[in-house]
Amino acid sequence: MMNTLLLAAGDNPLAHVLDRPSAITVGGTTLPLSVISLVVGSIVCIGLLLLAASRISTGPASEGNARFVTKGRIAQIIEVMVVTLRDQMLVPVMGERLAKRWVPLLLSLFFFILTLNLFGLVPFADLQELLHVVMGDHAAAEADMAHASSNAIYFGGTASACFSVTLGLAAISFVAIWIQSFRDLGVKGTLEHLCGGHDVVHGPLALWIVIPIIFAVELAGMFIKPAALAIRLMANMVAGHTLMAVLFGFGAAVLKAGGPAWAAGSITLVAGFFAILITFLELFVAFLQAFIFMFLTAVFISLMAHEDHGHEEHGHDQGHDGQTHAEPAPAH
Amino acid sequence: MLAADANPMSVEVLPLATAVSVALLTVIVLSVAVWPKIAKGLDERNEKILGEIKAAEDARAQAKAAQEEFERKLIQAQHDADAMIKEARGQAQKAADDLRARSETELAELKKRANAEMDAARRQAVAELEAHAAELAVSVASKVLGRVIDAKDQKVLVEQSIKEFASSGR
Repeated sequence: MMNTLLLAAGDNPLAHVLDRPSAITVGGTTLPLSVISLVVGSIVCIGLLLLAASRISTGPASEGNARFVTKGRIAQIIEVMVVTLRDQMLVPVMGERLAKRWVPLLLSLFFFILTLNLFGLVPFADLQELLHVVMGDHAAAEADMAHASSNAIYFGGTASACFSVTLGLAAISFVAIWIQSFRDLGVKGTLEHLCGGHDVVHGPLALWIVIPIIFAVELAGMFIKPAALAIRLMANMVAGHTLMAVLFGFGAAVLKAGGPAWAAGSITLVAGFFAILITFLELFVAFLQAFIFMFLTAVFISLMAHEDHGHEEHGHDQGHDGQTHAEPAPAH
Repeated sequence: MLAADANPMSVEVLPLATAVSVALLTVIVLSVAVWPKIAKGLDERNEKILGEIKAAEDARAQAKAAQEEFERKLIQAQHDADAMIKEARGQAQKAADDLRARSETELAELKKRANAEMDAARRQAVAELEAHAAELAVSVASKVLGRVIDAKDQKVLVEQSIKEFASSGR
């Protein structure tokens, strides 16, 4: 039994973090946990936001002034997040015109990624795995632990810790950036932008020497920016969860090394305490990374606006409201 | 491949395609069914709050104007009241002076009339006394003429005359 639990703990902490096959098979193809998490996360995200929308929207006139009040804690929290992100983050960076166009996409990405990140904090997969090991055939499990446990997991894991998933999300940002560019600047304007802008293209002929270099750098940047989004999100999710797995694996490592049970128990208690602290950090990181993904996408989109609008809307110097806004972060 | 042996940076088609399709589906559903509803609710609440604030400001301005008008009228009323009180006091003083003057006049007339009546009464009394005295003298004289009046008669006559005078009630 103890050997079974030790095997369940695993030698490699990454085994608990990276994508694994689930117990669900469709058309002979075993679906990875990330796919299941994506679908469940989407359903939960849409369901919660639909619920919140129905509670935020104005009620019937018979309720009097109370019809303007948001009902329910979840709806109130979502409302605060939406208002803060829209009015304090996106509109100052993008301007009213761009924000009106792109806020639905950006908020949807934020809440979808946040849902995936928060799902990752709940050890659904590990609980199913442990339950399977404890309740199942110990001998078979010890013989082929990975295979046996994988077949027992129906849902869990952190989809946003899977590079394929974050790459897919970044692909949406990539397309959005190009759509904004072609829509606002046109093909000629986009090419001018990639060549260093109007001043460089229509400037002295000597500048044409550097245009190919600028074009190569800018074109690479158009792909690097979304790739950086994908790698940043995946790396942060993997790192935090790996740290948690390492902390929880200390006790098992002591037992595997032949140490006494009391030592393993003591170490597990201490490691568990720190794991709880790390969990709070992970909770913060879950929100932070969702925000960073959304915010950087907004910045990249706003960089593709008309330059005259850009100065006005990016708030390089002085915005409409008379406040000085920070220049959008560089794309790296 | 076991998860422990997998490359974290490996790209697989199924999760990638699922991520794109599910995320796009989520974006579409939320863009159609959620964000417009939330934005509408927030905008309506914003308009309601701004409307209430404007109504409150208007009401406050009206109340301030009404208060200023009220204070202005109050000051005017105080001035009017002071003027009326002053006028009333003047009228009352004048009425009192008139009343006192008339009273003094009437009193003087009464006194004068009383004095006149008293003088008349005195004169009448004197006249009546004189007439009675004359009548008494005549009576006394007639009695004197009837016999010689000695000292004793004289005393009797005087006492009789006095009795008659007393019995006459004068």
